[in-house]
Amino acid sequence: MTQVSEITDQRHTSQEVPKTSMLGVGMTFARMLLENPAALKKFRVMGPDEERYVRPPRQYELPPFRENMEYCTSNEKYLRPTRYCNPGEPEVIAMATELGAYELSDYEFAEAAYWFVNTKLLVEMLSLNSVSATLKRGTGTCYHLISVWIALCRAAGIKARYKTFNMLLPDEIMNIVNVEEVTEGEAMTADMFNTGVPEGEGEVYVDGKWTVGHVAMPSEIYARVGLPIPTFGEDPIGFTFKLIPGTVKRFESIPLQLGIAMNALMWLAPAAMERANLAVKNNLPQGRKIIEEAGGREAYDKKARERRLSPPIIEAKEHAALVFED
Amino acid sequence: MEGAIEAQEQTLRIDAPAEVGLRVAKLNERLARYIPSREMWTPVDEALFGPIDLYRVPLEDAQTMQLKAITYAFTRHYNNNSFYHEYCTTQGVSPSDIKTVDDLFKIPLIPDLTFKQYPEGKDFARWIGSVFTGDLPKVVIKGANPTFDEVINAFNASGMVVTYSSGTSGRFTFIPRDQKTFLTGQYGLAKSAINMWAGDLFETDGYLLLPNPAKTNVFVGKVTSVYFDIVNEIQMAIDRELTSKDIQTAMSGGHGPKGRLFSYVQNRTQEKTIGKIIQWLERHDKAGGTVSLVGAPYLLYFVMQKLQADGKSFDLGEDSFVLTGGGWKVRENIRLPVKDFRKQVEDVLGIPDASCFDLYAMVEGNGWMVQCPEGHYLHLPYTYYKPFVLNEDLMPVEYGESGRFAFLDALAESYPGFIITGDQVRMYEHCPVCDRPGPVLEPEIHRATGEEVRGCAEEVRRALARDFSVD
Repeated sequence: MTQVSEITDQRHTSQEVPKTSMLGVGMTFARMLLENPAALKKFRVMGPDEERYVRPPRQYELPPFRENMEYCTSNEKYLRPTRYCNPGEPEVIAMATELGAYELSDYEFAEAAYWFVNTKLLVEMLSLNSVSATLKRGTGTCYHLISVWIALCRAAGIKARYKTFNMLLPDEIMNIVNVEEVTEGEAMTADMFNTGVPEGEGEVYVDGKWTVGHVAMPSEIYARVGLPIPTFGEDPIGFTFKLIPGTVKRFESIPLQLGIAMNALMWLAPAAMERANLAVKNNLPQGRKIIEEAGGREAYDKKARERRLSPPIIEAKEHAALVFED
Repeated sequence: MEGAIEAQEQTLRIDAPAEVGLRVAKLNERLARYIPSREMWTPVDEALFGPIDLYRVPLEDAQTMQLKAITYAFTRHYNNNSFYHEYCTTQGVSPSDIKTVDDLFKIPLIPDLTFKQYPEGKDFARWIGSVFTGDLPKVVIKGANPTFDEVINAFNASGMVVTYSSGTSGRFTFIPRDQKTFLTGQYGLAKSAINMWAGDLFETDGYLLLPNPAKTNVFVGKVTSVYFDIVNEIQMAIDRELTSKDIQTAMSGGHGPKGRLFSYVQNRTQEKTIGKIIQWLERHDKAGGTVSLVGAPYLLYFVMQKLQADGKSFDLGEDSFVLTGGGWKVRENIRLPVKDFRKQVEDVLGIPDASCFDLYAMVEGNGWMVQCPEGHYLHLPYTYYKPFVLNEDLMPVEYGESGRFAFLDALAESYPGFIITGDQVRMYEHCPVCDRPGPVLEPEIHRATGEEVRGCAEEVRRALARDFSVD
């Protein structure tokens, strides 16, 4: 089994690190706190009358690990262990075996792992930690969930990597006309995320090409707002997400500063994160009901696709007429 | 634009009262440089310059013009704009699918938020290049990491007119226009106003209640440069350079120390501006001259409030003219219903209801929906512009039902002007009050709200937003 120390020793760090946006968001956040120090208390402490978040029970059984289980030990890029994503952990190997590693084709396994993460693991704001911890818990942020998918695929000998991008702020913010109705908080956070709201997904290398999987968004969330449910291989960029062009980044490992930032946020604002967890949890039943009423996930998805409108993505392409003078 | 045609040629179509014909002939004289020579007319030009009165074209004739103009525009964008071509391909639509007016709804519509999804720096320039249909002129952009204003100014120095919306949410909508699109759009604006108002706009002295068009790239300011070619003397409410940063700070409503300082300075400047406008009105009222006031409704509202507070009023009369547009922006909290606004204009300025109009338009389009003097419904220019009202499944609703406004705008030559807006409207087949034959919108327009999927980061943003709003 690969140890965390080996990951650090081998310097399996990210290839592209979104330094600027991370720093910018952090600076804006610090400025906002200076301007509104009273908010800090609310970030840290839940009110006495507030509903508390209770983690839902894990949605699956953890299969037992056996020493003779096959898994990939390659040190090749995109197969090797990286920060917070070790495919050599027993829980990962056992789950990959359970899902059909080395029995199914690469595509079939990646798809099975995709639906496992998408339908069985739940979203919860937490500090970043190992994939085994996520599997034991059954919850995590999008980065935890993407890491589970990537680790399962790497354990099965399938190259896998992270992909991040920034989305436009939601319609309800972008469409604001009545500025006086915007709360101070909305205005401040809209400013903080003016370069976009970060979102992540994974990519696996099967049949000679990288195939995307947006594992971390449960079907219920899409159903709640009437959108189709992306499948394995379907990129939600341009499908359900409004990408800010030029923000797509791919990397082998979760950047160090992302881990630091997420851990800092959890430490600084545990109550705010608990409220976010409640919001996510409370959103699910409504979506579940919509899917049930439509006759199941496939029936719902078919109907949603019939009425969807995918906004076009306008790429920032080179044009011969544009002359740049530095 | 070369080769202006003679005014008489413009008035051959007998589809409007004679006095309207005379006014349009005068407009064509004044705006000769906006009009291509007759032999160069495309079906789009035919639909804009051909009719004397854009709002009185018989429906059958208008449909023929509309189909030709929009099909021409669609074919142009399909063939010359790679992102739009790809978008049409994914939807399986090509120009050969458009044969009748009913087929126009097949033309792929672009959500307006698409034009808010742009990168920064040099990539912003490349993005504008990708939005643009046709051959870009040579554009020289200086600096390693140019700002929005530097990029826009570089494009505009090459002869283009890149403008943006006021960016209430903090992200602007950027639209690149070439000279042809910009000039025909402005001509459309002027003709729409001339068609609706029975007075003599050419003889008025004007006050522009907006920034100097030469010193801003905000669309609502820039597009009013046509006003300078129509009326006599013009004064401007804001005659200084306005950058996108200034607009963003102003639109943030004074959040943060910088925003609050900006708001303070802005309020002080506004007080002075109101004083100047009142002096100007007093001078014209005494001289018995006629005036036209064009621009932001909230600024005129403040002028009238001040006059009322000082116990003053004028009798500028029916030969004076008010045209408001662009919404109330950061002053939305004091927004008056359009009917109450007109009443105030009549009471305080002495300009009657029939000479006071509101206009609905947006940066992504070149259609000008101007109120009729009789009922103040917003009339659509249906010879070159096809409106739709869509339900939540993005299918057209029946006339009289409320839904999201969408349009096909043939005048947009430099970008695909086939847009789904974020506005909630109600459309009628004909005006319930006047006898103009085309479709109308109810005068009050609201923003539609939509919900989207939220990732963890968005949930975190919301949680932080709630907590930052602690009392």
